[in-house]
Amino acid sequence: MTLLLFAVLCVLLASLSGRTHAASDYHERLDLQPLPGSSLLASFNFRSNSSVSSFEKQHFRYFPRSLGQILQHAHTKELHLRFSTGRWDAESWGTRPWNGYKEGATGVELWAWIDAPSEDEAFAKWVTLTQSLSGLFCASLNFIDSTRTTRPVVSFEPVGDHAPSDQLHLLHGTLPGEVVCTENLTPFLKMLPCKGKAGISSLFDGHKLFDASWQSMSIDVRPTCPPGEPECLVEIEQTVDMVLDIDRSKRPRGMNLLKTLLTSMSSIWWTLTEVFGRPVKGQCLSDDEGAGDKVICLKVPHERNVFVTTEAFEVKNPDGVSRCFSLISSNDFDLVLPEEEVQTKVPLEQPVLHAERTIIGHGQERGGMRVILRNPSSSKAVDFIYFESLPWFMRPYLHTLQATVIGNDGVPRQAPVSAIIKDIFYRPAVDRQRGTQLELVLSVPADSTVTLIYDIEKTILRYTEYPPDANRGFNVAPAIIRLLDQEGPPRLPAHDQSAPPVADAGLQHAIQRDHPDEHGDGAGVWKHLQSASAPVCAC
Amino acid sequence: MRLSSFLTATVLPLVLSAAPALAEHTSNWAVLVSTSRFWFNYRHLANVLSLYRTVKRLGIPDSQIILMLPDDMACNPRNAFPGTVYSNADRAVDLYGENIEVDYRGYEVTVENFIRLLTDRLDEDVPRSKRLGSDAGSNVLVYMTGHGGDRFLKFQDSEEIGAWDLADAFGQMWEKKRYHELLFMIDTCQANTMYTYLYSPNIIATGSSALDQSSYSHHADNDVGVAVIDRWTYYVLEFLETQVTTPNSKLTLGDLFDSYDETKIHSQPGVRWDLFPGGEQEGRLRTVVDFFGNVQNVEVETNSTEPGSLKEDLAEIAKLVEKWRKRDQEYLASLQADSNNSSHHHHVVGADQQKAQPSPSTSQKKAAAPVAKMTDEDSWTKRLVGLTVLGAGATIWLAGSILGKS
Repeated sequence: MTLLLFAVLCVLLASLSGRTHAASDYHERLDLQPLPGSSLLASFNFRSNSSVSSFEKQHFRYFPRSLGQILQHAHTKELHLRFSTGRWDAESWGTRPWNGYKEGATGVELWAWIDAPSEDEAFAKWVTLTQSLSGLFCASLNFIDSTRTTRPVVSFEPVGDHAPSDQLHLLHGTLPGEVVCTENLTPFLKMLPCKGKAGISSLFDGHKLFDASWQSMSIDVRPTCPPGEPECLVEIEQTVDMVLDIDRSKRPRGMNLLKTLLTSMSSIWWTLTEVFGRPVKGQCLSDDEGAGDKVICLKVPHERNVFVTTEAFEVKNPDGVSRCFSLISSNDFDLVLPEEEVQTKVPLEQPVLHAERTIIGHGQERGGMRVILRNPSSSKAVDFIYFESLPWFMRPYLHTLQATVIGNDGVPRQAPVSAIIKDIFYRPAVDRQRGTQLELVLSVPADSTVTLIYDIEKTILRYTEYPPDANRGFNVAPAIIRLLDQEGPPRLPAHDQSAPPVADAGLQHAIQRDHPDEHGDGAGVWKHLQSASAPVCAC
Repeated sequence: MRLSSFLTATVLPLVLSAAPALAEHTSNWAVLVSTSRFWFNYRHLANVLSLYRTVKRLGIPDSQIILMLPDDMACNPRNAFPGTVYSNADRAVDLYGENIEVDYRGYEVTVENFIRLLTDRLDEDVPRSKRLGSDAGSNVLVYMTGHGGDRFLKFQDSEEIGAWDLADAFGQMWEKKRYHELLFMIDTCQANTMYTYLYSPNIIATGSSALDQSSYSHHADNDVGVAVIDRWTYYVLEFLETQVTTPNSKLTLGDLFDSYDETKIHSQPGVRWDLFPGGEQEGRLRTVVDFFGNVQNVEVETNSTEPGSLKEDLAEIAKLVEKWRKRDQEYLASLQADSNNSSHHHHVVGADQQKAQPSPSTSQKKAAAPVAKMTDEDSWTKRLVGLTVLGAGATIWLAGSILGKS
């Protein structure tokens, strides 16, 4: 999806400015989109690359050396790291940015493809990787041990162009309770060429970022072999997405919201300086590299007046609801959106699947997990993979897995189980060694809701196994939903919606790719259950 | 108490003899630890962050500061000022700022990790930013704050570090040449009890309150909703902020400790000098920036045989190897002697000797003896018991048959 988006953008930009971007090594871009309810979505994207040969010789230019060395040391070929907090309100804000691909579970999520001759060696490298990243990003990534590590079979696919000689092992880990704060942003900024001193990254301020209703930081590293390039590249892409409350952001720092609400009443009009606390401090890499890029894009209707403080090229895109600016000087740049009524509304795309997960039952011993999956489309079924990783102290009884279908009008539907649960990939937990891993290939019929329920048992823990703040409960890693390709035109973009954080179940988030899913047989340790023979019943 | 005075009596001469090693240090490290979790302990994190800002201001880089924060205050949902931590109700300085590196956070702040950090007993995978990379030329500042009591300090409300644990950690640091001089500061209730057992040389220790005294918080911020700083730390900071304004400051630790005002602090801060070579007189002359600032002196290593040089170390190691080799040979010889005297009588005597006088050499031999030998001895005694039982049975049978006949 990302690739596609970028391809579209690049084509768009190339056609408008007459420039190609292959020669340049570093790009940055900020997309601003006002959302209903005086919210503002800001999507920052930073992309740079390095040729494989200079990467291997540790000759880094824009690629961050600190990360590059860790990746080499841990034989990591492809890396995806996510830091997220808050909640995306899909009911009001529609589809998620990057279709959910660039965001992670609440807390920290990491998955990587590691080149190693065996599973054990891959895990040893994985430990090295998590330890090193924990030092680099000031996060407790070193807590991703064997109990939190999973090896999904069908839920993830590499997005890079990997050499066929590599023996890749996918490892995945989540820290659902991990706090994301300024100390995680500091190293993130230091990895950028302008380090937050110039360009759009100068807008980053921990006080605004961590005041956001929802925010997500991501790092993706992958090898890529673009067709016209003599050599393969190692590409790094960093993104920060946040939804700011404009009213809230406009209050001065160190002052309570209550006080400012009484003083400031105007809400529609805003400037970059007001929302982010500072203007864009000129362009990053002012000379040849990246010049002419459409750095800042704004999704407002064309008839709305937008003023800029310094000279900048403005290009209105043909879609009628977006425009882009390229910075041409090193002066401070600010956008001013005065208060005005506009008839045209920027359309919000709606998600194709809504999901929520809850722990049901009561008591300290038994319970159940309930997942509600709603397909709002009236005509098309939605196919996806539901990936769940449970801590070892939550023991699921897979034979109790039930799937019920009701229509969105509330009328129960009759559907064979095999039509809903098409495949199950399951690895049971081993006490204190590894958690449960469950992947379901699901299909929700059009205009209906599927409810999955299975029983769980809560293990009695040893006294020393409780965290110091056991009073607040335990965190369960969020489930991940990956939408499979939708067939036939018109192609609907894939979305999903987060669940409210109920009990101690985490949030869900989506992983969506354009590639059709072709899963092979599971690895040796896997139980590959065909739905026909699986002990699943529909009620 | 008597133990500690005995220790000081024995250790002090050692210290004095080792004193003229190095007058100047070559690097500075700071270990800043808050040990309290939960929002109402906001002030403990503010304490430690204030110290973090101070040492950064005076020049210690992030790479040489180990910051341990057991909970998240800046991005805590209860914080009305996201991304900030304030240690004063005027909210003039945001301690969290925009550039902060927290090395250990959340559940990582444990007694085990703290001691492993000090003594460098860490996995090889642990990154440099989570290691205390100090050496024999480093001045180390260790600041701790949290909830404590008589000779203990709680970590995360779930475990505690004792004064002996701390003393041993510092002792091991000294043996591993991980510090040149160490300034230990602690702000907690009955803080001064935490340094009673320290025994390794070159340590100056100071705490906020004496035995059976509480340390109090200074003031609360009504918008933050909780107390924002502790009294002792507040006045230490006041001195550092107003008096030690530049890294070239010539103010001494004596000046800092003289600035303690018990009427303001509401407890009796303590200072321990006796581990420092030259005692209070010398210690007072150390400047504040010796511990809070950063120096980058270079020590050129020569091939001299001064104490601490590589040559001397190698010679020491060679001596140790020789010593152990000799011991090994003696032990092997004694084993052979044992097997030659194959009567079980010998073992009984041996056991008697062990009971009578558990001298270090015999107990060592017992510990090192292979398992096989223990079972050997067992079988002999078992055989003896078996024979006795059989003999007794036979006697009874004989006696019975004789008596029955008669």
